[in-house]
Amino acid sequence: MDLKEAMKMIGAGWIQRPKGFRVRFDRRQGDQWISDAFPSEGEPLLTSDVMAWELARRFAEAARKEATGEAEGEISGITVVDDKGRPVTFYGTDGIHVLNPRVQA
Amino acid sequence: MNAMEAELQKLKEVSEMVTLYGPGIVRSLIILVVGLVLAKLFLKYSRLILRRLNLKEATLSVVVNVLFILIITLFVAMAAQFLGLKAMVIGRILVGISLVLIGIVVIFRPLIPTLPFKVGHTVKTGDLLGKVEGTTLMNTRIRTFDGKTIFVPHSKVLNDYLINYHLIPNRQIRIDFPIGYREDLLGAKAVLSEILAEDPRILKTPPARVFVINLNQDGVQLAAWSWVKNFDYWRTRCDLLEKIKLRFDHEGIGFGMARRLVHIQGASSEGRTGADNLVSSVEDKTA
Repeated sequence: MDLKEAMKMIGAGWIQRPKGFRVRFDRRQGDQWISDAFPSEGEPLLTSDVMAWELARRFAEAARKEATGEAEGEISGITVVDDKGRPVTFYGTDGIHVLNPRVQA
Repeated sequence: MNAMEAELQKLKEVSEMVTLYGPGIVRSLIILVVGLVLAKLFLKYSRLILRRLNLKEATLSVVVNVLFILIITLFVAMAAQFLGLKAMVIGRILVGISLVLIGIVVIFRPLIPTLPFKVGHTVKTGDLLGKVEGTTLMNTRIRTFDGKTIFVPHSKVLNDYLINYHLIPNRQIRIDFPIGYREDLLGAKAVLSEILAEDPRILKTPPARVFVINLNQDGVQLAAWSWVKNFDYWRTRCDLLEKIKLRFDHEGIGFGMARRLVHIQGASSEGRTGADNLVSSVEDKTA
């Protein structure tokens, strides 16, 4: 195997760099949960995961109320995803975090 | 008597001249003053209005200055007409002055020292970092990032070193810091590499690099070097520092820091050799 081929293989197995980040969440509509995110499709993605997690945290605080899990418009399951919708690990813990998790009835 | 008559004749001539040209001169002066005031007001408000169009600072300055000169020229021509000059003559004079000015600029341009930046560039001169807001004949107006407007004489700019951050599109972020000698070096390098690889703002080429840059009293000096676009530099650097701190804490990798162990001559020598007790100086030791 030549060096170029090996480097290609290493690159393919290495961390795939995302193009950007979104804050994803679920919103209660009627009797079901609708998935939504910001910035929405077509808007420029956030390029900083630090900023994305900060926005997620503030969004969770703003959305947090007497959570019943059933109220119309209630927001839960806030997390950060990449451009392909895959969950992004929180840089501080290297783990997946969901803020304002859904209340289990 | 003849001298008296001559004086009176002179006064009469002056009086006739004032009667003939006085009102025209006064009107011309009024027009010039009004023109200058209007041009100044135009300069102020047009800059504010054009700024809303998101024009580049350099383009904005050129547009506003050209319009300013045109307004001044218009009022000078009007004033000249009130003095009694014919339109054709005024036109010729203005064209002549313009040609002379262009000639002077073209001929002497190689001798005129040029500033190594344009309006809108981010520069560092001496210990001053900021954005160039404008230049005049005497000085450069720099807006620092903490909101101060500083007027720097051209002589200082031309005689001091100057870094212009706009001439190249990308910039290197260098983060160098120590970890303790007993920490997991390979683990630390792996975490650093991951942090750099995950950030979409860090350019693929030239590739980001992580390496050991020194072994000193603070610990094992690690270096994480990566390239980003100029615009992303500051935010990315801050983000990387935050990520490194938190991830290293999470992974249990301790940062290095200089510690000093002081051996005092004549202090309790239990369990120590004579050689130890001879050490009277300050010894650096990294935890």
